[in-house]
Amino acid sequence: MQPSIATMELTKRFGKLTAVSGLSIEVGPGEVVGFLGPNGAGKTTTIRLLMGFIQPTSGVANVLGGSAAREGAIRRRVGYLPGDFRIDPAMTGNELFSWFGELRQNYNRARIGELVERLHLDPGRAFGTLSKGNRQKIGLVQAFQHDPDVLILDEPTSGLDPLIQREFLDLIREAADRGASVLFSSHVLPEVERAAHKLAIIREGKLVTVSPVRQLLDRARHRLELRFAAPINAELFKGVPGVVEAEVRGDTATIAVDGAVGPAMEAALRGPGLLRVRSAGDDLEDLFISLYDQAPEVN
Amino acid sequence: MLSVLRQVLWRRRISTLWWSLGVAGFAALLALAYPTVRDNSELDKTFAGLPPGVQAALGLDPGSPLTSPVGYMNSQYFANVLPVMLLVFGIGLAAWCISGDEAAGTLELLLSNPVSRIRVAAERASSLVVLLAVLTLVSSATMALLAPAVGLSKGLSLGQIVAATTATGLLALSFASLAFAVGAATGRRSIAISTASTVALVGFVIEGLAAQVKVLQPIREASPWHWLLGTDPLRNGLTWQAWVLPVTVSVVLFVIGTAVFARRDLS
Repeated sequence: MQPSIATMELTKRFGKLTAVSGLSIEVGPGEVVGFLGPNGAGKTTTIRLLMGFIQPTSGVANVLGGSAAREGAIRRRVGYLPGDFRIDPAMTGNELFSWFGELRQNYNRARIGELVERLHLDPGRAFGTLSKGNRQKIGLVQAFQHDPDVLILDEPTSGLDPLIQREFLDLIREAADRGASVLFSSHVLPEVERAAHKLAIIREGKLVTVSPVRQLLDRARHRLELRFAAPINAELFKGVPGVVEAEVRGDTATIAVDGAVGPAMEAALRGPGLLRVRSAGDDLEDLFISLYDQAPEVN
Repeated sequence: MLSVLRQVLWRRRISTLWWSLGVAGFAALLALAYPTVRDNSELDKTFAGLPPGVQAALGLDPGSPLTSPVGYMNSQYFANVLPVMLLVFGIGLAAWCISGDEAAGTLELLLSNPVSRIRVAAERASSLVVLLAVLTLVSSATMALLAPAVGLSKGLSLGQIVAATTATGLLALSFASLAFAVGAATGRRSIAISTASTVALVGFVIEGLAAQVKVLQPIREASPWHWLLGTDPLRNGLTWQAWVLPVTVSVVLFVIGTAVFARRDLS
């Protein structure tokens, strides 16, 4: 099946700076791709190339088989959320939704009402008087209100509280279930992990990897905090396969594990009564580090 | 239909109201002050003693002394107050149309919709024409209402007042179009405003000096100031020079600015 979003050897230079270099990624119908990378890696530039706000230096950025820059009919089927979502401060959510509904010739009042309710948004208040999170909700509603076939979202969850983040992830899943393609950039691994089928990771404008989420996470660095019944021997995790860092302080050990965590757990069981295991969350930075370390085998 | 244009008009409704009140206030003030000037022939003698260049810069010419309706309106309103008000309004709005919206970070969101850049430019430029027309109308209406009461209508028809006001609106449109074009082409609001303001100011100075300085006379032929002040629409009505030239210049600037805007990277 033809991908709904496709970049081929996409390159963008700003003067001497190469923001995106030879990037090729695809998002098929019904597929959710998380777009990850450190700040300045070229995520926003890629998204702006796809939307046609800037022209590629070379290569192709296609949406729904054509150029979003040239074809309004394609943009009508796209939901877009910029990384820094802003509108006229005096404008209310309702004003924006009806205006954009008119521009897209698709004003679905019922759908807007449903989104507003699910995201707990007050759509009658002026944008300038809203908190960061509520502003972002307006951005989400305008991106989803016309049930687009393609969603291109730049840092969609920034500023949202956890409850609304979950609602947003549901929205993405529902969109994918009805066949929409979703590309969204993020800094937060757990949310990407829950919503995305695949992860595309870029660094310095180049694609590091595109892989199924699970496969990446299995390989990613994992941090564990282990508490024991008594002070432990500093050598407990020495030489254990996969353990790349171990810090022991009294009865608590903090370890970093690359890949399978089994051997480390076996070592922990040999300690003086394991009381508690806390997974310190999969840090994106750690994922990047382990990926970059393993870069040759990833490609 | 025209939803980009309508959104600008809606967004600007309050500020347009304030601008209208300001324009009406200045027009009323000048009209109501006329009776005190009208009866003061000493003023004419004072101004007649000024060098011709200064007189020209003040909008005076020997044929219409300050105390006459034409001399008073030209020197006190159409050669300075009204153009300055319309220029400030027009250049500010024109610079916002593309570059201001772009700098505010709100233009890309609009362009993510199925509207082309050319359509956005065209509807925004139309909003500029519409709002300048509103202020022109407010000025004409205020003057027309008050002129008979203060004796300004002696020898002046409503048509002449409308012609002079319209010509001033077209002068503002020319410079506003420059701000629009520079903003559309560069995406830089500050450059748009400073370019248009500088060219307008230099043009005004040249128009004043050209009465004295022969070298400047060919240059002023290309200046909207000369098309306005040189044709004296308050006396002669709206001659072709006073409307064909500014309209042509505005259209050309719009086309150039929009052509660049349609192809360039947004900032």
